[in-house]
This record gives sequence, C-alpha cells and structure tokens, in this order.
Amino acid sequence: MTIKPPAGIIRAFFPGVPTMRMHTAAVALALLAPLAQAGTLTVKNPQGQPLSPVMVTRTLVQQPEADLSDDGYAPDGVTNTSAAVLTRFTNAAGEVSFADASEPVRYRLRAQGYVDAYVDAAQGEVVLQPMTAEQEIASYPSNVWLSQLDFGGDQALKETFQLNCAFCHQQASPFMRSERTEEQWVSIIERMNTYGARLPTDDHQKVASLLREEYRDLREHPEQVPKPRPWDAYLANYELTEWPIGDGFSQMHDFLVHPNGFIYIGDNLFDRIYQLDPETGEYTVYKVPHDEDMGLGGIMGNRFKVFPKMYNYMGVHSFAYSKKDGNIFITPSMQQALLEFDIKTKQFITHEMPEGYYPHTIRVDDQDRVWFTLALSSQVAMFDRTSKTFTVYDLPARGVKEWFILKSLPVLFSIDPENRPNPSPDREGTGLPMPYGIDITPDGKVWVARLYANDLAMIDPETEEVTMIDFPYKGPRRLRADADGNLWIVAFQDSLLVKYDPAKKAFSSWELPVINEVPYALNVDRERGVVWVNGNQSDTILAFDIAAESWEVFPMPRQRFFTRDIEISEEDGAVYTTNSHFPTWQSEGGVPTLLRITPLEN
Amino acid sequence: MPRQRGSALQAGMTLLLACSMAQAGEWQPGWLYYGGDQGGRHYSSAQQIDRGNVSDLEVAWVFRSGDSAAYGEEMAKTSTQSTPILLPPAAGESLVYCTPFNRVIALDPASGEQRWSFDPDIDRRGDRPFRCRGVSYAEESRAAPGGHCRHRLYTSTHDRHLWAIDARDGKPCTDFGTGGKVRLYGEEGLQPGDVSNSSAPVVANGVVVTGSTVIDFARATTPRGTVMAFDSYSGKPLWQFDPLLGHAASGSANVWAPMSVDAANGLLYLPTSAASPDYYGVDRPGDGLYANSVVALDLYSGAVRWYFQHVRHDLWDYDTPAQPILFEWRKDGQHIPALAQLTKQGFVFVFNRLTGEPLWEITEQPVPPSQIPGERASLTQPKPIAPPQLLNPFLMPGDAWGLTPWDRGDCAAQLAALDNLGLFTPTSENLTLMYPGSLGGANWGGGALLGDSGMLLVNVNNVAFTGQLIPTATDLAPEEEKQDHPAAGHRMRVTMKGTPYDIEIGSLQSFLGIPCNPPPWGKLVAVDLLKGTIAWETALGSVHEMGPVTAPFHIEWGTPNLGGGIATAGGLFFIGATMDRQFRAFDVSNGATLWQYTLPVDAAATPMTYQYRGRQYVVVNAGGHHMFQRGTGDYLYAFALPTTGAKP
Repeated sequence: MTIKPPAGIIRAFFPGVPTMRMHTAAVALALLAPLAQAGTLTVKNPQGQPLSPVMVTRTLVQQPEADLSDDGYAPDGVTNTSAAVLTRFTNAAGEVSFADASEPVRYRLRAQGYVDAYVDAAQGEVVLQPMTAEQEIASYPSNVWLSQLDFGGDQALKETFQLNCAFCHQQASPFMRSERTEEQWVSIIERMNTYGARLPTDDHQKVASLLREEYRDLREHPEQVPKPRPWDAYLANYELTEWPIGDGFSQMHDFLVHPNGFIYIGDNLFDRIYQLDPETGEYTVYKVPHDEDMGLGGIMGNRFKVFPKMYNYMGVHSFAYSKKDGNIFITPSMQQALLEFDIKTKQFITHEMPEGYYPHTIRVDDQDRVWFTLALSSQVAMFDRTSKTFTVYDLPARGVKEWFILKSLPVLFSIDPENRPNPSPDREGTGLPMPYGIDITPDGKVWVARLYANDLAMIDPETEEVTMIDFPYKGPRRLRADADGNLWIVAFQDSLLVKYDPAKKAFSSWELPVINEVPYALNVDRERGVVWVNGNQSDTILAFDIAAESWEVFPMPRQRFFTRDIEISEEDGAVYTTNSHFPTWQSEGGVPTLLRITPLEN
Repeated sequence: MPRQRGSALQAGMTLLLACSMAQAGEWQPGWLYYGGDQGGRHYSSAQQIDRGNVSDLEVAWVFRSGDSAAYGEEMAKTSTQSTPILLPPAAGESLVYCTPFNRVIALDPASGEQRWSFDPDIDRRGDRPFRCRGVSYAEESRAAPGGHCRHRLYTSTHDRHLWAIDARDGKPCTDFGTGGKVRLYGEEGLQPGDVSNSSAPVVANGVVVTGSTVIDFARATTPRGTVMAFDSYSGKPLWQFDPLLGHAASGSANVWAPMSVDAANGLLYLPTSAASPDYYGVDRPGDGLYANSVVALDLYSGAVRWYFQHVRHDLWDYDTPAQPILFEWRKDGQHIPALAQLTKQGFVFVFNRLTGEPLWEITEQPVPPSQIPGERASLTQPKPIAPPQLLNPFLMPGDAWGLTPWDRGDCAAQLAALDNLGLFTPTSENLTLMYPGSLGGANWGGGALLGDSGMLLVNVNNVAFTGQLIPTATDLAPEEEKQDHPAAGHRMRVTMKGTPYDIEIGSLQSFLGIPCNPPPWGKLVAVDLLKGTIAWETALGSVHEMGPVTAPFHIEWGTPNLGGGIATAGGLFFIGATMDRQFRAFDVSNGATLWQYTLPVDAAATPMTYQYRGRQYVVVNAGGHHMFQRGTGDYLYAFALPTTGAKP
C-alpha cells in the first residue's frame, strides 16, 4: 500500500511514529499472516470515479475458539483470544490495502451516501451503489436528527431530556424515531427511570407528547434534517483496531492503558476485568470477588431484575494505576469500598470504606494517593495507601432540602433496597448534584465536576480546603487537566468543549465539530497537546488540537458506538476507547469492543 | 425451487378467464371471497345497515349444520371459523360455507334454508383440531356454459385433499383430479393430522393454490410447508413452492393463514409461518428464508417476485398469521397498489405490492441475544417506523395489574423474576416473558380496511405469555402437546423432539387466574395507514363470563379473541371473536359500541355481509373455539334490519 505522509494532526499526535510498539504490532501481524501479500482494493462509484474516504472493515469469518463456560463468559483466570477487527479508509485514489489474512475474512465497505457492500478479498475493484434519497437520510447518525428536536421551543426541557436520556443511548436513532403513542413513550420513560434515569415525573407526559409529535414531523419532513459532517481525507492515514470482548449483555465502561502494555477493561455489569494484550488480542479475565451474602446490585440494589443476565455485585466502574507499583485502583460503584488489583499476583484487594455512596471516577496523584468521586453522596474520597485510610470531603449542598437528602442517605441505605424510597427527581437534580469526573492538575490540586449542579470543586490536598466554582455551562461530566494546568471539561447538554484556566479563573469554550453532540468524556494527550472527546450521538471521536484550535473527526466503525472513556497510550500516543452502549445489543454488531486509533506507517 | 411454467399458460388463462372474473367482480354488494375480496380487505360497500339503524338489527334466521349432533365428543376438537361466501346469480346465488369437518353447505341467503350439502367424509384420525375457514369460488370458462361445474367451489380438507365441486348442486367435478379431488402433499408417510388444512384455497385465472397447516413445534424437523398450485379445471399440478427452499435441518414455514391474490398482475401473496421447531433454532442457523415472511409469487410459475421477512431466525412462533391486505395507497397524489401485512408482534408493514418496496420505512430494531449455547439470534429485527406497534410490549413489575394488592403483588413478583427485555427476548432456561405471545398481537382474523380511506381496523390480543426452555434430560418428555397456544390458565409443555429442550408456555396470570398485564386483554384498534398513526382504540370483549361465576353485567376489559371483523360503507365494524358470546357492531369513526347480540356460543369466525333482494344481512358462524374451552356449537346466524325498516 502506498501510504502518503500523514498530514496535519497526525504529526501533532504521533511524532516519531512508528514506535517500537508499532513495529512489534506489525511483526505480530506478519506472524499471524505468514502468507501475507499486500493487496489493494479500489472503490469507485457507478460513474467509475474513485470514492474516498470509504471505511473498509475487515472481520474474521470464524471467530477463535473461546472458553466461555461461566454463564457465557470466560471463567476467572482463563485466557481467550479476541480476533482484531481492522478498519481503514480509502485514499484519494479510492484505494485501500490490507495484508492478506491467514484465515478467511470478510470486508465491509461503508461510505456516506452509499449502500454497504461486502467482499471476501481486499483486491480488485468494487463499485458502491448510491443510496436513494430516503435511504441516505435514514442513514444519518442520530445527532443530526436530534438537532431538529426543539421540544416546542422549550430548550430547558430538551436539556433535561438529553441529560437523562442520552447518557446511555443514542436518541433519534431510527429505532427511537419510530412512531409510538404517547402511552408507549410514557411507558418507556417510566421503565428507564426504574433503570436509573431521572427524568422528572412532571416532565414525563410533556416529553412523551413532544417526542411523538416532533419525531412524526421529522418523518414527514425529513428534508429539514441537516447532512452529517462529511468524512475527511485524512482518515486514509489511520487505522482503527477493535477487539470484541464480552457479549451483548456486557458493558465495557471505563478502562486503563497500563504502562505494562496491557489494556484493562471493566465489564460494569459482570464484575470482570479483561486484561488485553493489544499485540496478540489475548485477554485474560479476572473476576472481582464479592461477599457471599451480597445481593445483585450490591448496596444499591438490583435495578435490572428483568435482565436475563447480570452479575454486578461490585459494579466495576473506573480505573487508575499507581505510578509507584503499577497496581490498579478500581471504583466499585455498588459498594462502599475501593478495589485494588495487584498486577503481579492478579489478586483483588478490597478496601472497605466507612461512608460515601457510588464510587465513580478515579485518579491517583503523584503522592500515590487515590482520589475518586462519590457520585451519590456528593463527596470526594481520598485513600492514603500508606496509612490505608480514607479521607472524605463533603461537597456543599445547594440548599437545605439537598443537604437534608444527602444527610439522610445513611438512613435510606439502611433500608432494604427492595423497600427503599426513591426521591422523585426534579430538573435540578435536587439531592443529586453528582460529582462525576475528577482529575489532578500538575500542581497536585484535585478537580471535580458536578454534573447536575453545574459547578466545579477544587480540593487542595495540602490545606484540605474545598473551593467551589460555578460552571457557566450545562452538564460538566468528565474533565481532564492538560500539561499547563488547564482543566478541559465537556458540557454535556451544551454540546461544548470547555477550558478552565485556574490561574486566570477564566472559562473558554469551543463548539464541537458535529452538531447536537452530548459529549460524555474526554482526555488530554498532554505530550501532544490534543484533547480527545467522546462523540456519542454522532458515532465519532473528536480530536481538538489545542494550539491550532482545530478539530479532526474520526467516524466509528459501528453505528450506536457509545463511548464513555478515552485513554491515550503514554508510549506511542495511540488513542483508545470502548463501545459501552447500554444495552450493548443495541450497538451495531451487538458486542462491546475496545477500539484503538493509530496512524498508519509511512 | 418452484417449477417454472411458460408464459403461454399465463396469457391463455388470463384471456379465457378475464371476462368471467370481471363479471363476478361487478356483482355488488356481495361477498364472493373469504376476505370479502381477493385481497382480504374485509370490506363491503353495503350501507343499508348504518350507524343510525344498527341498533334495530334482529335475527333474520339461524341455521344449524348438524355437526353437534353428528360428531358428539369430537366437537371438543373443533373451532368454528368459517366465513361464508355468497355466490353470484349464475352460480346459484347460494350462501356457502364449510363446517370444521369440511362439510360444504349451501343455503338460501334470505331464509337460511339448506339447498344442498357436500360431505367429503374426511379421515378424522389424529389429534389435531378440525377447522375450516372457508371455500373459494370461480367460474371455470373451460367448462361448458351451463354445464356441470362451470361454476366451481374449491375446498382443502383436514385430510389433505383439494376438492372441486359444483357450486349449484355440491356434486364433485369429475373432470378435476380423480373424482373431483386431488391428493395434497402431506398424507403419505406421516401421522394423520401432521399436515392438514384450515384456510380456503385461492383461485384466480385458472390456478388454484393451497397451503397447509403443520404441527411445527413438536419436532425439530417437521413436514415441509409446501404450497401447491393446480390447474383449476383439471386439477393437474402446476407448481410447488417450498418456503424453506429445501433446507433439510428444519421444516414447515407453511402457509396456514389465508393467501391473497392480485389477479390482474398475476401475483400471489403467501403469509408464511415459522420454521420448526418454533422455539429452538440452533440446528437451523441463519435467517431461515422464506419463513415468517410475506412472499409474492408469480401466480403462474410460483417464482418468487419479492419477499419481506418480518422475523429473522424466529424463536417465538411469530408466524405470519393474517391474510395480506391488498389495497390502493392514495397519498399525496400517489396511487400505489399496496399490501398491508399484520403480524403477531403487532406491527403493520405496508408495501408497494408489485415491487415489495416499503411505503413506511422499515427500521432495524436491535434485539437481545440468546443465552442458549449455539443459538445465534438475529442481531436486529424489522420494525416499521410507522404505524405504531398495536400493543405496548413492555411490561415491568411496576406495571403489574390485579384486582387486589395481593394478586397485583403476586404479578409484580412474577414479573420481577422473569427475563424480560421486551419484544424478541429469546426464551432461555429461565422463565421469559413472551409479550405478545404466539397468540399475537394480530392473528388470523386479520384486519378490515374501511374502503379507500386507509383506515384499518384490527382486533388485537393483549395477553402476556411466559416461556421456559426445559432440558429434556431433566424430565421425561411428556405426551406430545396438541395445542397451538396455551388455553386460558393452562401451562403447555411442548416437545421439540430432536432438540435438547422442551418448552413450557403459559399465560402470565396471578393466583386468581387473572392476567398480570393491565387490561384491555383484547382490543380493537383503528390504524390510519396513510398517516401512520393510531386513530383510536377500545376494549374488545367483556370478561363477565370468564371468572368462576358469570357476572350479571358486562365488564368491558377486553378478552383474548380469535376471528376477525368486517367494515361496511354504513360506517360500521362487525365482529364476534371474543370470549363473551357477543357479536358487536362498532362505529368506525370512534370505536363506540352501537349494537351487540348474545350468541349461544362464542363466534370465533370472521363475519360477512351481503345485500340480497333489497335486504342487507350480516352473517356470522358461531361454534366456539377449542382453545377457549367455552363450549362448541354449529350455528350460523344471520342478522338484518326488520323488514319494514329496510331501505330498498
């Protein structure tokens, strides 16, 4: 394959590529494909013109044998292999190349405005057939459809809807757009609230009515739906690699790129972590232990009783590693505890916690202190590894009612989950300011975003002082610090990337390059000065060059590719994310994947 | 694969028969076909009975076939589902229908007096229920004008024979097959009743086509669901179509529901059922074409013109249950020959019937995977973007219904213990919600289209079932189940011999025997096909006779229902179908009940109407349904306005 020099952002993201790891990966690929010969596939339109970029995805026809004898999953300690799914894009000449595979493979060819095609070999020429106008509009990603819902002009209601209904699912997908009666919409909303959404009761009927009305209007007048952002030529310089793991009932939530070369991915619903070697696709599963008398859903109770399979006694959520010994710290959302995974012995250590509810996002600072948010009790916890003690910081309530609710939590949680009262939610999320994302700036300060409260908290570990800062946008979900000590925050409902400069106490914001996105999380490649943002409604990952203030957009190879975390390899700058749509079976292909974006070699 | 026939046959038969068929079509307002017309619209232009006078309807006559007296205990295995047809004057102008034992009876349309009857004396061995939904008529232009069997009736029997009899005297047509009958696939080498017939054959342009009824749940590999076409004059085989394309690891995908035909365009529409076994698909990987589909065949050759599969790799017994409805789509200045297909899932799919192009976008609904080793459930299933599903398939513990806190609590607890991810949740070794169950949603009663308005009226079942796969090693296999669906309050253990599992299915109900989902448990839904919306819906049926003691008043919470309804230009929708012995007339504009009559037994059949000598009659077959377990009978009721009130 003729690979043109990666342009623009590739130089910024991946200086010095290929790295040793990439060389190793290439060698491994060659070993896996001893008969490999480079083949070139040319993709054209019916007029004979080359099509670019066309997304070409290669999948093994026969998946490797796997031991899935533990209720459909790998038992503890068992190693299986995930067959990597490769995606590349055609260049300006309509060409794309793959090394021949040693086993039968299938290629899916996908381009905006064209009907998918499938071939068994990446050689020769394939002509893609254009979609009809109706097919093309129907194929648009959810975000452009969602952009046309204005909820009768009630922007606050739309934001409430997005906050509560778009954190697991793509709204306005074809499945969502289908005609339903108001009663059917209400039924769905009520069911979602039993699963954990918090759409205010007063809004149920209004939202149901507006969804019925406005989806119908969109069906009848689809011409008002804007075209999605076209795919860019630079995509030909990248390769996307996916490793399917788990099954349709899993949820691969957060994960960790560890300096030991493995990726650790948490199955939030099945209390497992997957230790995956990206060079071979081999993964070993470690099952998180729980007390024998613990029920499903832990102290939170089981919200998913009607699900056929569930094994979330602990609720593996977020990951961070100690720079001291490499051990991995994991927040078990369903427990008052912190999990530690010893990467040498492969054993879990449970650190019981005296208070706090719903351990959420986690980071480890340079002092080897473990910091994490307690989303339900509006607290931040710090675990001192030396003393093995927790310090818990209360974040302030927004009012007397909220203070009372937060203080009542221990009493509420003393009640059996089956009979526990569930406070009726309101638009402000009273009682649930929900400290969510957390990160540590280079100066050691701990920063937290409160999703429902629209504010930031800063904890000075030296003084233990907590400072609250109003966030002038809506929906600060996850945040990360850059090398200069700035905070980068996604504004979920406002569809913005926000920077906060603590020195200047100043906020800046940037529109995302795709409309009506609800960005869940981000990460900062401190070395290369790039902010990577999850684009859940548009099936994209978004890259923002801090210096150039410019965006590049990476389409994902599966529809309904819902991502909640981004990790960047410190070694080579490769970018990883997981497809954690909930439920997973609603994602194209019906299986969760770990995805890596890497530049192709020159 | 279907055998191909030359176009000469097509052209010749079309020329020969076009004239006579056209004449038949001009005779109005009658009811010449099972579904009112060959496209199953269930519609009559008769309007003597209308909203203003329907309350005056009275019994015009009652005919009893004599089956109850003749067959005694065997009546418990019957369901009386026949819709009569009214023959044109040239064919004797009789009202003709069939009884569950395939007796064909002709009556005087005005008095209900019997003119003739034909008894094929079927082989009644086997355990399968007896039913006959109707007979079909055609004028055979190749027979001598005025001669015997110029006007013919066709009927497919329980014991797998296709008969042609004279429409005027009921005598077999000796020039058809052997002595008036041909043997259909399914008799040889099979147990009696393994393959039978329930729906009327279709006949058009010299071709008569018949499907079959097959036990598709008891064994892994069941008999083929072969559709057979014959020359309507001679009975010579023309072509066969195996909906499963000869795939050996499965069977059935038969066509038991009524077919439709577009005679002008030479297209036959098949509603195909599930592949066997119904609830376990490991041994039949893939989508299973053309099971669970509507398949458009060339009438003359049996070649596939287009198809649409509404369930891929069926694991729920979601047969295509209803006759495809052919109509004219008139929207935004477009006139498109269209087809509407109702499904057990409660969807209405609408197509250009010439091309198969959907007229409402069909989306791919992601659905849950199976937990059964080796079972590769389809990742997605089709769902129309409109109209809405005719029932809400989600049922959470908080939705549990009961008369008291105790039975409601019992239902909530049961629901909390079920696997339940909504429609298309595959059954597993855990108890799994099946909502709708194999009863539907819609079923063989189909829908009634209100003229050219695009308003479709559908009777819908709304009862949740549960299912559980049971490893056969854990228990001795029970005696083979004889039912298609569980009867009320009954848990049905179904063998799937040749697989590792049986399945147990039952309705989801409290200890009081009351369904756990909120009523109505049966409803009538008016669907605006052109707008893609539900115009109105109302409960269908009273539960006052369903408890241990009959209540002295009606309780309109809807009941499970089997059979269909008809719409008339008088603004009325007539339907029995319910488990309350009622025959009702609804206002098509709003669903208000305008009239009802108490029959001696349930009328699990689709009614019909006709105008004869200036008087409009509405006729319904009332004989109960073996699944309802509420008594049987052999009644045919005709209603009309009092003679003095009838408009000329």
